[in-house]
Amino acid sequence: MTQLWRRRTLAALAVAPLVALAACGGASTEPADGAAPGSADCAPTGGPVNLSFTSWVPGVEEAVTLWNQQNPDIQVKVNDVPAGNAGTYSNLFNQLKAGTAPDLSQVEYDSLSSFRLQNGLVDIAACEGVTDAQAKFVDWTWSQVQLGDDGVYAVPQDTGPMALYYRKDLFDAAGIAPPTTWDEYYQAAKTLAAADPAVKITHFPQQDANWFTGLLWQNQANLFDISGDQLSVTVDSPESRQVAEYWQKMIDEQLVATNLQGFSPDLYAAWNSGTVATWVSAAWGYSTIRDNAPDTSGKWAVAPMPQWTAGAKNAGNWGGSTTAVFAGTEHPAEAAKFALWLNTDPASLEILNKEGGLYPASSDAQSLPALSTGVEYYGGEQIFDVFKAASGEVDTDFTWGPTMTDTYRFLSDGFTAALNGQGTLTDALTAAQTQSVDSLKAQGITVGG
Amino acid sequence: MAVPVTAPQGSLTAAPAGSPPQRRAARRAGGRIWLVFVLPFAVPFVAFYLAPIGYAITQSLLRTERSGGIFGRPRTVFTGLDQYAAVFSDPAFLSGVGRMLLFGVVQVPIMLAIALALALVLDSAVARLKKVFRIVFFLPYAIPGVVAALMWAFLYSPQLSPIVNVLDAVGPRPDFLGSEAILWSIANVVTWTYTGYNMLIIFAALQAIPQELSEAARSDGAGGIRTAWSIKIPIVRPALVLTGVFSIIGTLQLFTEPVVLRLISTNITSGYTPNLLAFSIASGNNYPLAAATSVVLAMGTFVLSFGFFRLAQKRGWS
Repeated sequence: MTQLWRRRTLAALAVAPLVALAACGGASTEPADGAAPGSADCAPTGGPVNLSFTSWVPGVEEAVTLWNQQNPDIQVKVNDVPAGNAGTYSNLFNQLKAGTAPDLSQVEYDSLSSFRLQNGLVDIAACEGVTDAQAKFVDWTWSQVQLGDDGVYAVPQDTGPMALYYRKDLFDAAGIAPPTTWDEYYQAAKTLAAADPAVKITHFPQQDANWFTGLLWQNQANLFDISGDQLSVTVDSPESRQVAEYWQKMIDEQLVATNLQGFSPDLYAAWNSGTVATWVSAAWGYSTIRDNAPDTSGKWAVAPMPQWTAGAKNAGNWGGSTTAVFAGTEHPAEAAKFALWLNTDPASLEILNKEGGLYPASSDAQSLPALSTGVEYYGGEQIFDVFKAASGEVDTDFTWGPTMTDTYRFLSDGFTAALNGQGTLTDALTAAQTQSVDSLKAQGITVGG
Repeated sequence: MAVPVTAPQGSLTAAPAGSPPQRRAARRAGGRIWLVFVLPFAVPFVAFYLAPIGYAITQSLLRTERSGGIFGRPRTVFTGLDQYAAVFSDPAFLSGVGRMLLFGVVQVPIMLAIALALALVLDSAVARLKKVFRIVFFLPYAIPGVVAALMWAFLYSPQLSPIVNVLDAVGPRPDFLGSEAILWSIANVVTWTYTGYNMLIIFAALQAIPQELSEAARSDGAGGIRTAWSIKIPIVRPALVLTGVFSIIGTLQLFTEPVVLRLISTNITSGYTPNLLAFSIASGNNYPLAAATSVVLAMGTFVLSFGFFRLAQKRGWS
């Protein structure tokens, strides 16, 4: 049982009693009519300050304890919660409406826009040290927290640059090198299946729409475009179709496992038994394999993500979080100061990497000792070198929409049909395009071009 | 609930004992004393039942408008029945409802037939270890729904399940989580969970049948099966109708099992059941549409269960 499976299970447990709430609209709070404007100035309130901070990074308490020791006047209290999409975001949205939200919270990049839309974020650009900190972070993470304008709506925490985890022993036995292009990946799938029909090159996770958007990100298939007051939906684009058609071909030719949900015990059993040979995944995925496929220790290796054009260098990103200052805080300056420290201080970053397995958004921290040595499970290879390179190859322009929960849901629903042969992945894109436009309209947003 | 409400009241007003001042105090209090007994019910009923329903109905008549750009200031405006039109034109909602109707038409009769059969066997003269079996049959209901679903998820798992492995050895490999089978895999979990509960209601009704009736049937030469068919089942019809209504409500509100099973099955969409759909919509911060979906679901549940009840009355089943 990994953390993710456990978190999802816990989410299911947490969600079940909510049925009564959902049945009455899930609405126990007033709609927030008053928008929370970004603070133009950001002066420290001075005096002793208490801040609350919601996070689900394992071991974040240790970093906060360190902060509290060093900053007696700014004491931070951590609320340890399930992962964002496992119910915490819903809670936070409701807390924002009720005015009981924490001062700071962990928010993933793909959800920042949604929180801004629900008037949940404070623009901390004016707070001391924030704009200067830009240089400390990997380029694309900073554009992710700027949300298409001059503001700064969060401090980057960790990232999920993607690469290819593959079973080196199986590839060696079949006499194939790790694929460098998606075409080679397809050929590798066929070669592996020819050697043993039970072996699928990977699984297609129906619930992990954010895995698929990581693949789209690599191909510069921007899902949304925000320029000024204009928002356009480009979920269905030539670039996204290229990715969809490729994976549809893999599904049609039965080269991928269509019945394995991501992060499920069944997937782990398939990894252990060697019937699933690769996983295109993020830097944080190294521990997912290590902890759940102990039988295959030493058999996995990491190679750069396959490319659409030979010789290109593009990586996708899957996941990663920020620390956001929430609207309603009375101490934005102190909150921003803590958020910066948490994600730039070497001691803090070392704790977050060691305890939480975070792959940092801070450029310096990518050279942490733990990230520059060989990893035993992966045959002692320095796998993080691959992710460090990938981190520099992530497109800076990728933009999330402000209703990503819905867009992910529409994509996942479309995946179900595609995996069953009742539709295609291209259909999933077309449907998600139309439905996302409707979602945005429901939030009162005019969708252009 | 009737017993605790009336008993203390009676003892207060009717008790002849006690000194005159005490009695006067009791009589004075008697004027408002009903409040003490009504409020513990009325306050939660209004706060946690009527108010949320009223709030949901209000929400369902609104929509969000925004001024000042994408991240501008939102405000809610009255929109009439637009959200309801959106619910009825949502293919996910319609297919979810259709799926639940199919589920109910198949699962509810099967479950109630098993429950009735178990109750009759327990009630029959030949049964041994009645108390033990009564508890054993009821036990699944005592297990929280999420835990039951997790347990079944393991048994359905294509990689880990002992059942799948055994069946695989003797015939074609079963796929309990496939797009065709998953609905019936869920039905199986629901049946497993609720059969014992329904059995207990029917069994209680059977226990209330006077001994003389069974004796009279026996002396007329009726065997066990004949007695069950001609005497017992007609008498417990009201209990069957009641369990039928409960089951219809339960079917339309199906939620826990699909939520748990979608952790391992790739075939459960976000609108697999109407209740799950309402939850998914609310997760996307679209509360007006979620409220409208919930209200439609509640009305549908009411119409179906009440309709079934009326039908039963008309036919003289209850």
